[in-house]
Amino acid sequence: MARTISKLFACACATLFATGALAADWTPPGPIKLMIGFRAGGGADTQARLIAEALEENKGWKFIPEQVTGKGGINLAAALKDQPNDGTAIGMVVTETLGYNMAASNSGLTPQDFTGLTTTAGFQMGVVALSSKGWKSFDDVVAAAKGGAELRFGAMSPRLADLAYLVGKAQGVDFNIVSVRGGKGVMDGVNAGDLDLGFMAGIQAKGVAAGDLVNLASALSTPLVQTPDAPTFKDLGVEFNADGYFVFIGPAGMPAEARDALASAIAEIVADENSKAGGIVKKAFGGAATISGDELTALLDGDFANAGKLLEAASE
Amino acid sequence: MGTLDYVWLGVQAVFQGPEAFSVLGLGISITLVMILSGFLLGIAVGATPGLAGPIAMAIALPILISTFGYTPDALLPVMGFLIGVMKGATVGGAVPAILFNTPGTPDAFMTTLDGYPMTKKGQAKKALRVAHFSSVSGDTFSDIVLFVCAPFLALLVESYLDLPEKTALLILSLSFIAAVIGGSPAKGLISVGLGLLAVFIGTGEDFYPRLSMGTPQLSQGFPIATAILGILIVSAVFKELEDLWVEKRRSGKIELTSQSGDQRLHMADIRRLFPYIARSSVIGTAIGALPGIGSTLAATLGYTIGRGRYEKRKGADDPDFGEGAPEGVASTEAANSSVSGANLIPVLSLGIPGNAAAVFLILAAESIGGFNPGPSVFRFTADTVNPELVVAFGLFTSMFIANVLNWTIGGVFMRSMGVMVRVPKQFLLPIVLLLTLTAVYVQEARMAAIWFTLGFGVLGYFMRSVGISPLPFVIAFILGGKLEESARQAFSATGGDPFFLFNNPIALAFMLLSVGVIVVTARNARKAE
Repeated sequence: MARTISKLFACACATLFATGALAADWTPPGPIKLMIGFRAGGGADTQARLIAEALEENKGWKFIPEQVTGKGGINLAAALKDQPNDGTAIGMVVTETLGYNMAASNSGLTPQDFTGLTTTAGFQMGVVALSSKGWKSFDDVVAAAKGGAELRFGAMSPRLADLAYLVGKAQGVDFNIVSVRGGKGVMDGVNAGDLDLGFMAGIQAKGVAAGDLVNLASALSTPLVQTPDAPTFKDLGVEFNADGYFVFIGPAGMPAEARDALASAIAEIVADENSKAGGIVKKAFGGAATISGDELTALLDGDFANAGKLLEAASE
Repeated sequence: MGTLDYVWLGVQAVFQGPEAFSVLGLGISITLVMILSGFLLGIAVGATPGLAGPIAMAIALPILISTFGYTPDALLPVMGFLIGVMKGATVGGAVPAILFNTPGTPDAFMTTLDGYPMTKKGQAKKALRVAHFSSVSGDTFSDIVLFVCAPFLALLVESYLDLPEKTALLILSLSFIAAVIGGSPAKGLISVGLGLLAVFIGTGEDFYPRLSMGTPQLSQGFPIATAILGILIVSAVFKELEDLWVEKRRSGKIELTSQSGDQRLHMADIRRLFPYIARSSVIGTAIGALPGIGSTLAATLGYTIGRGRYEKRKGADDPDFGEGAPEGVASTEAANSSVSGANLIPVLSLGIPGNAAAVFLILAAESIGGFNPGPSVFRFTADTVNPELVVAFGLFTSMFIANVLNWTIGGVFMRSMGVMVRVPKQFLLPIVLLLTLTAVYVQEARMAAIWFTLGFGVLGYFMRSVGISPLPFVIAFILGGKLEESARQAFSATGGDPFFLFNNPIALAFMLLSVGVIVVTARNARKAE
């Protein structure tokens, strides 16, 4: 009898302890593998590594950062899917990976294969050209194209290439759409004169401030912070936009306390502008934008569902 | 603010920056200390088989940034350190090539052709001296061109080369390398073809990882380090081990080359080498100024042109190129070193890197902020100070200081690495192999990378055994991605024109040259037989 009681007691204790193991007390059962879907050394990679560094300092968790690049994050997603879902394997990609790219890739992956943790920052996605071109607004671009100029439009992902095509279609002009690697690639091309205009997701901020570059349009659903007067894609007659975020994800079915602990710890760091990670988010991406929990799940599922419509519209 | 004022401000920024410590009341700025430490690290890294400057820069950059932070004050110390590494590794890279026949970078491959035979003849120290002298001369020349021309040269080059021309230029580089290296153009083309095949695995624009046959290991493609180090170093180790084994079976013991004779570099030597160094420096500088072509082509061109001149003038008992001619080492080293300064021309004026070292300089500038390599750097504003221009001249000053270090202590430090030649090969080769595999694992951190490296080593071993040079393979691997990208871009930028390579004069000229160089070399080779 006494033994049964003590067993019961132990069980009760264990249950109590388990319910007490809220997100705040969660510790990873081992070192966390952090897969980074961006080329080593770029702004996004630096952001991921600085977040890991800050978490090691603040929480004492151990991270093993690893580059898994290529195919717009699909390589990372495929590798992350089969990792343990106890919080010891997470990855950083863009929301586009789980939306358009998964829908377009035939890889069999869907957002349901993953647990969304939190976004860190949004893009300031503008359509940018050199100011020496003399274009003040997107209308000038359209006028130039209608005047017979063959214009080269740089895009760093298939989704953006579709959007470039649609904005041309809505305005009645044909752009020569050039796929370029990363926003840096678009900027290099524009600076070197190989491209006439192109998408840049925040990298243009310094150039615009210095007057070398000009934001002609916002590819977002909202105006750009830096150039609020530039028309949005909706104003230009395109019903789609390039809204997107950097996002941390884990494999599907991650326990709630692990998910919440990771999400809130990451969000806390990027929101703190005095931390190194927060500083770089502020400088390169215009400040933190953290979406997590059910709201994030809805966002990811919605992007995936909408991707089909964009694909259809662009192939008409 | 005149030009000279900016130059002076730049010099001051280096010497009067935040103080590290003071000697006899004279403050030594932190930038100077960082340039020196970067430089020494660079030589040591360059001299270690399997390591090269970019790896050291990659590992150092995050550490430097977390030490110095993100303020504009951090720019010169961090970039000074990286410039030191770059310069040190450039001269240091010749050490393993000359002593062990294992080039740390593709650029140093041509150095092995004459450097290693010199070591075998007991002239290792002399080969190192020749390499150092040529390398530093080429580098200094190129830096001077950079300081003088940077603001407008790159803009000029870029305005002539559009996407189709760039694609054609890459094709020309590959065809040139296939033709001139490795005896026959056919073997060269096989090597280039294999390299392109390897780099196209798992890459490309499509979401499906091309040629990966559904394996997750191949879906990210072969990491560049595994291909370069496997083909160049691991295969050389395998070949050397085989030679040792054959030698031991034949004679029952392993010979240790003894170093003897006059190892000094005399005024007469310098006079004899100078024309080779001068030509190669000009070639290297010109190629460095082209965005994205890189130093290996420069080394190859320098070597080939040097060989042409040498064959006409050499004395009856001088060694041929490839058999230990100091002129061969000089031509190569001057050419590949003179790329590094000129390479910063497109970096600073357009923000477009030409080699791996330049990539890290751009990265440093971007991460720290306050300096955006691009056209805005060279705006000479009269009424206000353009801080970016001051930083640019600060960088030039740092490069100049690194050159002075190179002329003074660089040679001594580099030659002190020469003691390694006394280590018996049967011990050294396994160590080189271990270091190489470690270097690969540090960069890639997955077991598949080790298997790839060994696989490339075996491939390179067979290529060497049948007399196919591994260098075209490596160049094709490096340029292959860029070639595909620029070809795709050129195609879409011209509105889907399938003849984009042939309907503008510059691209057409490059394409004709690409075919011509193969045909002419093949015909000459047949005539020689």
